[in-house]
Amino acid sequence: MAGLALTDVSKRFGSVSAVDGVSLTVPEGTFVCLLGPSGCGKTTLMRMIAGLEDPTSGEIALNGERLNDIPAHKRDLGMVFQSLALFPHLSVGENIAYPLAIRGRSKVDIGARVNELLDMVQLPGVADRSITQLSGGQRQRVAIARALAVSPRLFLLDEPLSALDAKLREAMQVELRQLQQRLGITTIVVTHDQREAMSMSDEIVVMSAGRIQQMAPPIDMYRKPANPFVADFLGQANLLMLRGVHGGAECSAGLISDLDLPAGETRQISVRPEDVAVAPGDAGPIKAKVSFVREMGATIEIHLTAGSERIIAATSPKAHPDCRIGDEVSVTIPAEACVVFDKQEA
Amino acid sequence: MRRTAPQNPTDYLPITFPTLMLGVFFVIPFGLMVMVSFFKRVQGGFYEPSFTLANYARFLSPFFAEMLVFSLGLAALVSICCLCLGVPFTYRLTRLSRRAQVLWLIGLLGVLSLSEVIIGFAWSTLLSRTAGLSNLFVWLGLMDKPVAWTPSFAAVLTGLVYQAFPYTVLVLYPAFSRLDPSLMEAARTLGASPVRGFLNVVLPAMRKTLLATFIIVFIFALGAYLLPQILGRPQHWTLSVLVTDQAIYQSNMPFAAAMAVFLVFASLVLVAISGQINRRGGGS
Amino acid sequence: MTKDNRSTFSRRSFLAASTAGVSMLAMPSVLRAQDRSIKVGVYGGYFKDSFDKHIFPKFTEETGIAVESVAEPTGEAWLVQLEQAARAGAAPADLSMMSQVAMLKGQSTELWAPIDMSKITNAGDVLPQFLNKYPDGRVAGVGAVAWYINLVSNTEAYPEAPESWALMWDPANEGKLGLLALVSNSFLLEVTAKTFFGGTGILDTEEGILKVMDKLAELKPNVQLWYRDEAQFEQALKSGEIPMGQYYHDVTGLAAADGFPVRSTFPKEGGILDSGCWALSRASDKVDEAHVFIDFMTRPEMQSLMSLKVGTAPTLKRDVLALTDEEFASVSSSIDPIVPRYDLYTSKADWLNQKWTELIVG
Repeated sequence: MAGLALTDVSKRFGSVSAVDGVSLTVPEGTFVCLLGPSGCGKTTLMRMIAGLEDPTSGEIALNGERLNDIPAHKRDLGMVFQSLALFPHLSVGENIAYPLAIRGRSKVDIGARVNELLDMVQLPGVADRSITQLSGGQRQRVAIARALAVSPRLFLLDEPLSALDAKLREAMQVELRQLQQRLGITTIVVTHDQREAMSMSDEIVVMSAGRIQQMAPPIDMYRKPANPFVADFLGQANLLMLRGVHGGAECSAGLISDLDLPAGETRQISVRPEDVAVAPGDAGPIKAKVSFVREMGATIEIHLTAGSERIIAATSPKAHPDCRIGDEVSVTIPAEACVVFDKQEA
Repeated sequence: MRRTAPQNPTDYLPITFPTLMLGVFFVIPFGLMVMVSFFKRVQGGFYEPSFTLANYARFLSPFFAEMLVFSLGLAALVSICCLCLGVPFTYRLTRLSRRAQVLWLIGLLGVLSLSEVIIGFAWSTLLSRTAGLSNLFVWLGLMDKPVAWTPSFAAVLTGLVYQAFPYTVLVLYPAFSRLDPSLMEAARTLGASPVRGFLNVVLPAMRKTLLATFIIVFIFALGAYLLPQILGRPQHWTLSVLVTDQAIYQSNMPFAAAMAVFLVFASLVLVAISGQINRRGGGS
Repeated sequence: MTKDNRSTFSRRSFLAASTAGVSMLAMPSVLRAQDRSIKVGVYGGYFKDSFDKHIFPKFTEETGIAVESVAEPTGEAWLVQLEQAARAGAAPADLSMMSQVAMLKGQSTELWAPIDMSKITNAGDVLPQFLNKYPDGRVAGVGAVAWYINLVSNTEAYPEAPESWALMWDPANEGKLGLLALVSNSFLLEVTAKTFFGGTGILDTEEGILKVMDKLAELKPNVQLWYRDEAQFEQALKSGEIPMGQYYHDVTGLAAADGFPVRSTFPKEGGILDSGCWALSRASDKVDEAHVFIDFMTRPEMQSLMSLKVGTAPTLKRDVLALTDEEFASVSSSIDPIVPRYDLYTSKADWLNQKWTELIVG
């Protein structure tokens, strides 16, 4: 089948299990982000795909061809490293030409291809410069151009934007996504930045402790996190413990009506801050007290204490209910906004 | 850290001591040596102050020219051998576990603590006919009868490389430790085999370190005078051996000084040339 | 600098190389506090140890003069120190044991105070070659000890003792020889002259010397090791790695006594007889004590004692010594020795050195 397929891939370093039974399919032409906290195994997984580490068990296949026994330099992949790993002794052009020269392309072909790639990453005319003469963002582009020089079968990026400042990073996210769509190349990005993952990818793979927690398109994952870890890691989430009662589910400070929980059972649910409605007075189903208000321009965050629970609500400034710290308010959580986790996940 | 230039005399205080030491133990002795090299040799006696170029004139003969060329060539060869062995060794070393690295470095420091005399005698025994390695090869059936591998040029070279190898590794080690491992990995993902990546990415990226190491080992080998005597035939003696002969056995200080000045001068010229080459290579 | 010291020590020092460090140099060891004392310089290492143990205590006991023994390096370094100290009116040692070349160099600058031979009881018994005299007849130095450099061989490689220096030129001995590396300590010019040119007279002219060197050049293929470091050759001789060469008769005897398969032979052309003199620095104010010391050291029983305890050859006539024939043979020989042409090494030092280096390096 076309695309990348990992089957039950594990990697152990001594007694430490870095990657633990990962199976994953990346269809051709998709942009996938491996997302997770540091030490979750995402970089190790990428290094195994690139051939820089050998899996302890499991199989890695690309377009139906088993990669396990093919050394890194014969896999025809393009990879951008976190440090960029540009060769300091070569000029910009020579860096990009490196994989082409190794494959024995003619000088004329190489020259033309280098210019084409520099145009593609919007850095025309810098081929003769030395690496040290470039800014961080420019080096980033050179590293991308070099990795794409031989039109690889797979494009891998390990925390590619982490060294850039916030503004430049946002711009590069957009650019990288556009480039990938134009080339239609299967791309995997390792990142710990959930905003980056959300904004670029077709699919996000969230990892924790060497295992895949969930794989889904960004918005699906945001709306329907598979477990509390994913809910919490991807954006903000209110995680509440609820008990099923007649007509809904209740927490220590009130009721979420129409939420269907088996009566008497306790479950954990997740609800996004923007789905929590806050109104003045004590008319609503859940009574709470404002503990903190955080104005963030596009949104306002209201931190609430409701019984033993702490709830965060986010609203737009226009709909801003006039509340101050210490005010008694009522909170409404619509049942359809709640994601109920299985019992064992609680 | 303060980066302004010293403003008043007290700002120079911290460097007074090192400067003084450098002056007392290096500049003054070296100056004396240059001075003595122009003094007049008194045969059967010692020397007397005067200004003569006779000592340098004596040096300018085909005999000493050949000797100088041999000494420089030997030092260069030692450097090259040390780099050829030391670079892959150090590269592999920096990829071992921390613990293994420390053990290797301690071992190398151990070799450093051996004096030139001990190294010379150890190798002359190892390469001897009666007690040397060739006996082992005979026992293994690889050779018919034991042979003497010393004295010979190869023995001198082996001894010098053995002695200089720890220096080579210790000079290379910090640079190789700092080398970004992803440079090599990048080369591999771009299609270079490990050997190829090492040769055309790691080595060129390290070229300044390699040149510096070459020069250090070169100068180190140029000063060797015991190993060529112990492990070599007279034709393998270096200029340093003759300097020793003149200074200690002939008490011809002016001529010994002249030869030493020449040796220092020749190495300085070589260092300057390699510095130039490096600057030109690094500029583009 | 410690390495340098090893080389400058050369003669005799190796036997005690492990204990004779830099610190031993010029560090006097006072035997007993006395009103009268004398500082005596002897070669550091084996010589100094032997003298401290067997000779000096006897002298102090008999004469009441305390001896401070000073370890001196051989070669010229000690001469230079004495020379410079004398210019400043000081004497690091009153009496010193000096090599013949150093004696001659010191004579050229009148460094040595003349010795009054009338105060020396056995003056008449000192062999004439061991008395160093100024051109005007004053005595500059009196023979202290003598030693032979002989043809040595490994008894396993050479079951028959070699009889002649000429054997070193035998093509059958290719790669078998160990010889001293310096013209001024190997005395191979004298050996070649005596063996092939009827005596050392041919060395009077530069032309003659070059002829001798040509003959010597024929020997080169046979030489496996040109050594400066004595221990290196001794070890190789014992193991049979280098089974023949020139080496010190006394040390070879000690090694043979220890059971090593080595022997030292007096060739029919004679062994090389080298020696050291007692010489008094002109800056010394211990002239009387020095004469008492020399008188003591030239007694036949002291010469015999040194032969037995230190292994040196006596500097007195054979017939005044109480040594048995066997004892005498172990340190000397009745064969006429090859006496080095020390004069060459002062008058033609640089020329000889240059030609010699070209000879063996070329």
